[in-house]
Amino acid sequence: MDALNQLPLSIAAAIRGLFGDPHSIWADLAMDIIAFILVLLIIVAAALILILLERKVAGWTSQRPGPNRLGPRGWFQTIADALKLMGKEDVTPAQADKWVFKIAPMFILGLPVMTLGVIPYGKGLVPVDLDLGIFYFLGISAVSTVAFLMAGWGSNSKYALLGGMRAVAQMISYEIPLIFALLGVVMITQTFRLSAIVDAQKTLPFIVVQPLAFLIYFIAGIAEVNRAPFDLVEADQEIVAGPFTEYTGLRWGLFFLGEYGNMFAVSAIAVTMFLGGWQGPLLPGWMWFFLKTGILIFVMMWVRWTFPRMRIDHLMHFAWKVLLPLALLNIVLTGLGIYIYQLLVPGIGG
Amino acid sequence: MTIERTEEISLNMGPQHPSMHGVFRMIVHLEGEVVTKIEPKIGYLHRGLEKIAESRTYAQFIPYTDRLDYLASPHNNLAYVQTVEKLLGIQVPERAEYLRVIFAELARIASHQVMIGSLALDMAGWTAWGYCFRDRERILDLYEMTAGGRLTVNYMRIGGVSHEPPPEFWPALNSFLDDLPAMIEEYYGIFYGNEIAQARMKGIGILTKEMAENYSVTGCALRASGVQYDVRKAAPYGIYDRFDFDIPVLYGCDTYDRALIRLLEMRESLKILRQAVRDIPEGPVMAKVPKLIKPPAGEVYHRVENPKGELGFYIVSDGSNKPARVRIRPGAFVNMQVFPPISVGLKIQDVIAIFASFDAVLGEVDK
Amino acid sequence: MENNVLRARVDELAARVNGQVEEALGELVLTVNSPYVVETLAAAKNFQGVPCDFLHDLAGLDLGDRFEVVYQLTSLRGPQRLRVKARVARDNPVIDSVVKLWAGADWLEREAYDMFGIVFKGHPNLKRIYMWDDFEGYPLRKDFVPPTYEERATMRVRKEGE
Repeated sequence: MDALNQLPLSIAAAIRGLFGDPHSIWADLAMDIIAFILVLLIIVAAALILILLERKVAGWTSQRPGPNRLGPRGWFQTIADALKLMGKEDVTPAQADKWVFKIAPMFILGLPVMTLGVIPYGKGLVPVDLDLGIFYFLGISAVSTVAFLMAGWGSNSKYALLGGMRAVAQMISYEIPLIFALLGVVMITQTFRLSAIVDAQKTLPFIVVQPLAFLIYFIAGIAEVNRAPFDLVEADQEIVAGPFTEYTGLRWGLFFLGEYGNMFAVSAIAVTMFLGGWQGPLLPGWMWFFLKTGILIFVMMWVRWTFPRMRIDHLMHFAWKVLLPLALLNIVLTGLGIYIYQLLVPGIGG
Repeated sequence: MTIERTEEISLNMGPQHPSMHGVFRMIVHLEGEVVTKIEPKIGYLHRGLEKIAESRTYAQFIPYTDRLDYLASPHNNLAYVQTVEKLLGIQVPERAEYLRVIFAELARIASHQVMIGSLALDMAGWTAWGYCFRDRERILDLYEMTAGGRLTVNYMRIGGVSHEPPPEFWPALNSFLDDLPAMIEEYYGIFYGNEIAQARMKGIGILTKEMAENYSVTGCALRASGVQYDVRKAAPYGIYDRFDFDIPVLYGCDTYDRALIRLLEMRESLKILRQAVRDIPEGPVMAKVPKLIKPPAGEVYHRVENPKGELGFYIVSDGSNKPARVRIRPGAFVNMQVFPPISVGLKIQDVIAIFASFDAVLGEVDK
Repeated sequence: MENNVLRARVDELAARVNGQVEEALGELVLTVNSPYVVETLAAAKNFQGVPCDFLHDLAGLDLGDRFEVVYQLTSLRGPQRLRVKARVARDNPVIDSVVKLWAGADWLEREAYDMFGIVFKGHPNLKRIYMWDDFEGYPLRKDFVPPTYEERATMRVRKEGE
């Protein structure tokens, strides 16, 4: 299987070889453009598959078959949905803040694309191997809060405004336990670079040494992506669609893509930081990566269709009074663990 | 930095809204997420049924009663035909009485399934909703087998019921009754036992006993506030005094209890149904009723225990074949009056949950 | 047994408020004139031993020559039932509101106002409840003529921003 593992690298080397100097700035530029296009393709493909998977999972939990009319067993449903959305009229509310209203979806889709650029998809397959990897990811996901507020404010609708305000409260609150949970892993590996973190899990995935952190990260991650049970931002039954109420057609589709992109990004980071990234026996690295990410996304969907929604004050209570203390406890325990490990195993340190 | 001022928003929820149980509209005044005042505005489904009744004969009005509480339509039929029978002094044959009880209790179970499912749906518990509606399909199949309609059955007639159920009705009913206890356990597990759902329902929307009595609340909301009162026991109609069942009462007065009591009532309905299936005699399903129904001049008031509350019919007859006045006292209409006062000071999400727990059907509220 | 006690109380009350008592299909009906209605209902609510303290229904009734407001009283504490009918003049339909006695009379009185035009004095919020606020006419009156097709077409249509 190493051949499959090496396949993308061989293709990359071949493309570099096309240029005179394999490491000239033009070759680098070409590789960057190709990487960008691939990341875009990944997000689009992920969204297409995930949208249908969501509806299928929704059906399975209620013992229904899910969409099964279009294409073999319903697999063309997303394409039909996308075509339908493209045909819809593009309505902008009369009193809306036009620029804010129109730019918000671009942010919501653009930010996950930016985060997906630093994730190692396989052996040597990192679009941009930043040495600030995880730090960059957290910074970008913090900005996505602003995008929701832009959508909520720009729509000039009370429902949207309520949704936008809830989004800000929720996303800011849950970022803190998220960051602290990841801090545990960073303390062990002493680096922010994502490919180095994956390499550090050669023998043991970090979920074994940081189970609490994984749990906190996953729960906070679901909250960051605004999925049930934390989906007050777009609570169907109360504020119609929250910040997305006034969006139609393809603009609304961009929000959807952004949500699934976000889900993919959060799961990908969880896989990278806790589940060993692309490493695994037998199958090539990138296959393992997508498999693991897919399993986490399936769990997110499963949780969404089973649990009711939390109330806003319970949600805040949970973030600040439950998750945050646990995350801090995790850091203390990790610190103690590292110290004891350094004492017991001489030569390790630094 | 000092806060200049905060402004209250007034949010218009409905009539088109994903969780307004029909076409209910309310204007919610909010301070942030906290509700300060609710103004309900109803009448979007007003069809003037009381006026229509004055130009229809007594028998012609029965299909209109289906459309009152359309989720439990046999029960509305029952209320109306029993009122007319009281006016006429007709005795209904035994078999018809048992069939009426069977259909009424099936309607109660179906209505409670919708209520639990809708309450779960309003809190984004999609799976609980799916389970409730999937199981309700079996009841709707039973209706369709017998009366032809799934939702509005128009099954009862003045003097009995319209059709004898077909032979495949009884095995289907028995298999449904066998599966019902497992269904109830499933609903409990997926919804009531869930910690998030409990946190959202317990302690929310307290309706004290005194307030319930003052606002003329009837039905499950009253029983969840600690008053053990059920028309089937207090003033039995039809043959309900022959059945052995309990009246569940809960004392929490909150949304959780209002939801839970419906689950308990489903168990009691199961008991009644089993007894009815066991004891049903053979015989005709329709009494000898004159073709032209002309009750003597007079008036009568009759009430039944609808799943939504107490449905009352007040009919004034002037001796002709059309009633002079048909007054429908809808349980849900009167129950909804207490909904604004108990929601003040809670969050908007609680308001949705409380409204769902009162189980109002706009067909009944708006007539 | 209880029925006799109730009958006795109702007869005594009827004597006090100039009402008429009759029995209709097993139920006691007490008819009074509209000025006495609050006194009657308050007394019925506090009957010794058989309080009729649950307002079950409040309905309007158009009898051609006069209106009537019909109150159905039951009780959560016993089987007692009483129907109180209050005669209201047709040309000036005004009657006291019983919201002070039972808060649940609120919407029921609004409905009677909406459908019959009976004005309930002392009601905190007497607005139409089923029909839209500026609807003209009282639908359940016997002499109500629904607007014709032509009239409906020219009915005032709410304009943007109103």
